[in-house]
Amino acid sequence: MSARTMPLRVAAAEPLSPRLKAFTLVAADGGLVHPSGPGAHLRLLLRNGAAVHRNAYSIVSSPDDRSHVSIIVRRTRDSKGGSALLHEAVKPGDVIEAGLPANLFPVVRTARKHLMVSGGIGITPFLAYIAAFQAAGTPWELHHFCRIEERAVFEALLAHAPAGRVHIHAGNAFGVLADRLARQPLGTHLYSCGPALLMEAGQELARSLGWPKARLHSESFGGAAEGGAPFIAVLRRSNLEIEVGPQTSLLDAIEAAGVDAPCLCRGGACGQCVVEVAEGEPEHRDHFLDDDERASNRLIMTCVSRARTPRLVLDL
Amino acid sequence: MLVSDIKSRPVYSRLSIDAAGRRHLVLSDAPRPLEAAIDGVHAAAGAIDYWFIAATSTVDGRPAPEPAAGKDAPIERRAFRALPHLLDRLSHRLAQETVGLRLYSVGEEGFIWDIARLARDAGLEEAELRSCHAGSLRRTVFCVHCKTRTPQVTTSLAVCEGCGAHLVVRDHFSRGLAAFMGVQADAEAPGELPPAEELFR
Amino acid sequence: MTLQFKPDETFRNDFVYANSDEAVLRFPFPFPEDAYMYAVNIEPHVPGGPSPAYDNPFDLDEHYVAECRERAKVLEQDPGRCKVLPHMMAAQWDTLELIMESYAAAYPEHFALTRDGTLWTWENRPLGIRDTFTFGDASTLPLPPFEYITRQAQGDFTLQDQRDDNLFIDGGMVTTQADWSLDFDVGMTFHQWHGPVPLAHQKGVFDRALKFLLRLQYGRPVRRLNWTMTINPRLDTSPENYPSWGPDRTTVTPDNVGRKVHLRVELQSLFRLPRSNAILFGIRCYLCSIEDLARVEIWGKRLHRVLRDLHPDIADYKGLTRFRADAVRFLAPLDDGAPLPAGTAPGQSVLPAKG
Repeated sequence: MSARTMPLRVAAAEPLSPRLKAFTLVAADGGLVHPSGPGAHLRLLLRNGAAVHRNAYSIVSSPDDRSHVSIIVRRTRDSKGGSALLHEAVKPGDVIEAGLPANLFPVVRTARKHLMVSGGIGITPFLAYIAAFQAAGTPWELHHFCRIEERAVFEALLAHAPAGRVHIHAGNAFGVLADRLARQPLGTHLYSCGPALLMEAGQELARSLGWPKARLHSESFGGAAEGGAPFIAVLRRSNLEIEVGPQTSLLDAIEAAGVDAPCLCRGGACGQCVVEVAEGEPEHRDHFLDDDERASNRLIMTCVSRARTPRLVLDL
Repeated sequence: MLVSDIKSRPVYSRLSIDAAGRRHLVLSDAPRPLEAAIDGVHAAAGAIDYWFIAATSTVDGRPAPEPAAGKDAPIERRAFRALPHLLDRLSHRLAQETVGLRLYSVGEEGFIWDIARLARDAGLEEAELRSCHAGSLRRTVFCVHCKTRTPQVTTSLAVCEGCGAHLVVRDHFSRGLAAFMGVQADAEAPGELPPAEELFR
Repeated sequence: MTLQFKPDETFRNDFVYANSDEAVLRFPFPFPEDAYMYAVNIEPHVPGGPSPAYDNPFDLDEHYVAECRERAKVLEQDPGRCKVLPHMMAAQWDTLELIMESYAAAYPEHFALTRDGTLWTWENRPLGIRDTFTFGDASTLPLPPFEYITRQAQGDFTLQDQRDDNLFIDGGMVTTQADWSLDFDVGMTFHQWHGPVPLAHQKGVFDRALKFLLRLQYGRPVRRLNWTMTINPRLDTSPENYPSWGPDRTTVTPDNVGRKVHLRVELQSLFRLPRSNAILFGIRCYLCSIEDLARVEIWGKRLHRVLRDLHPDIADYKGLTRFRADAVRFLAPLDDGAPLPAGTAPGQSVLPAKG
């Protein structure tokens, strides 16, 4: 329960098109994978020599089935990172470290109807959505936009979904959305996932038709910011200089250096870990400090906040 | 026991038309002029319907449209005989509606929270409904011991219509029950009752 | 330690209830300092800490069987103490899965969960229950999944749905509560259901706690302690039954205060549920008479200082006003005023004999 990562074994790797590849992952220990819900993603830790890539992929398998978890990986053009590694190097039988499933794109359980708009690989979270909606019997409608040459790939992916609910629009067919957005019953929620331009255009169109913010949802992996640019923390009283790496928190780095720092919630809420800043400018990510305290740059919550300057001198 | 500044108690501000809405339906529990009920009528994008309770059998709930004048949106008024007459029509209307509607209600708390419940059941989000209190401050009180709702309470102490307990009317408000919480005032020492004050006239 | 259940304990009428010495020593004492004020006292819910009560996701103790029987009695009188709104079905299954997995892993001598795909068999030996059902198909269980499992769990539970950057209390099993009503609060937002708590809103406690909880992650549960005081070892101090337990508060005398007045601590835990994205809030209640607590020297002294100096608004909200002075007078002779170590560890491993 307290482990934050799990090893997954690649059970199958199957190309869907020259740029899309589906991976089926199972628990490396032969047990069940962690449960997840529609919209959840997996963050894979992909090691390539010294480099570590942390790529997030939407879970596309049915959330109710814990025998495996499936993702679809798109190879980006300039890919030097994790996607290329998955396409080229990762083979069935390999074991990959993954974070626990997290969900930054959950479905709204009170919605009367779910309207999904996706572009290209943005279809992935909706494959899990559709499975959940079908199981629950909730009305839904999907509009998928793609290049003409990829139409067959997406048709095949959606082949099991009931006809009449799925609308695949190849080429420049965005205009169809205005009509659909103007005719949705009360209680409909709109979800969009895909290229930023498509998501923004869809949401802007909805707003102009009177859709309030509470009905608009889009996928973003940005949410819970962890890590950032590396910096040096100088612990004045302990006479120590420590490096805070891009994936470690300031608090973790302080603790790793053997300094006993106060803390409680480790999420920026309780206020226990507040430390005085003697020099440098904090990048505040907490919920505790008020506006004046933030602006003064004299205090920092070490559990979540980082530095805007290369050096931060702390009264620790 | 009576704690003020309880965050569940609704705080109201005067109604104004939501410029982001595409159609507007304004509901009132009394035949007040539309301009007295809500601001921004002339700046509205989209049609405004105004439904109010006239409390007389001489009206029939038929629409009385006014053609749009100049840049103003068209307005349609309907007078209803009583609350059930209006609620019945409202359920039908909401079942046909599409996203883009904004609903507004003005009146006593019993009225606006009845409307809020109907709106929520029809799938409206909180952002699509604006409510404003007008008229008497009398409260509906939910007896936490026997679950009876006692309406039209004006005093800090009320006798429950269900179990007869003397209830302290707290500021804790449930939108789901459209009522304030009532708790027996003399539970710890039976018969020891604080004086009743008229607070919610 | 093997749990020795005491199935015949009662929490009403004759109040047949006692803590063994082990139970007193593992009590999750809530005061790390001599003064008490509201704070966002949330910490990761990981095993370890000053009490074995923190060792498992859901703690069980010697009162488990009796508490489940008490719950059944409350539900028979008032089935509305368990209420789940219809859109929370996925969260119901999440809860069942989490509690079954946790109990089976932590207490294998008492519980077993075997799975064959979606066909699950659950065995609860202390309560004599064995059921086979299809996970995800509510018609295969004798009760809705949330009620089914929380009738077999120690402590209250609520379900919070997350939407529109807020949390809504959209379900719960609440039979052992400290004076709040699920029936009244169901469907409320985070700030609405905390509405009656004094002082904490002004201090921004709920704003910060909400922001924190909206980001709560699956696999990283958190916990906090809350406390109040209850006359007699009574679990059901609900507003619904206030006419039944309210008079207890006038029965405290200088002679019986040590036995009558109980410190009531809630070990509250919060879990992000994976399928529904809802949050499960566990409220595990521990009751201990102040006489028994004071057998732990540090706790007796600290409890004296906290009660003596408590803000009157908080004392009033927690319902302590009528008997606080008696409790302070009972504890005062035990407190020499010497400085106490920070923290909540008992600082001793055996208790003196009852005086």
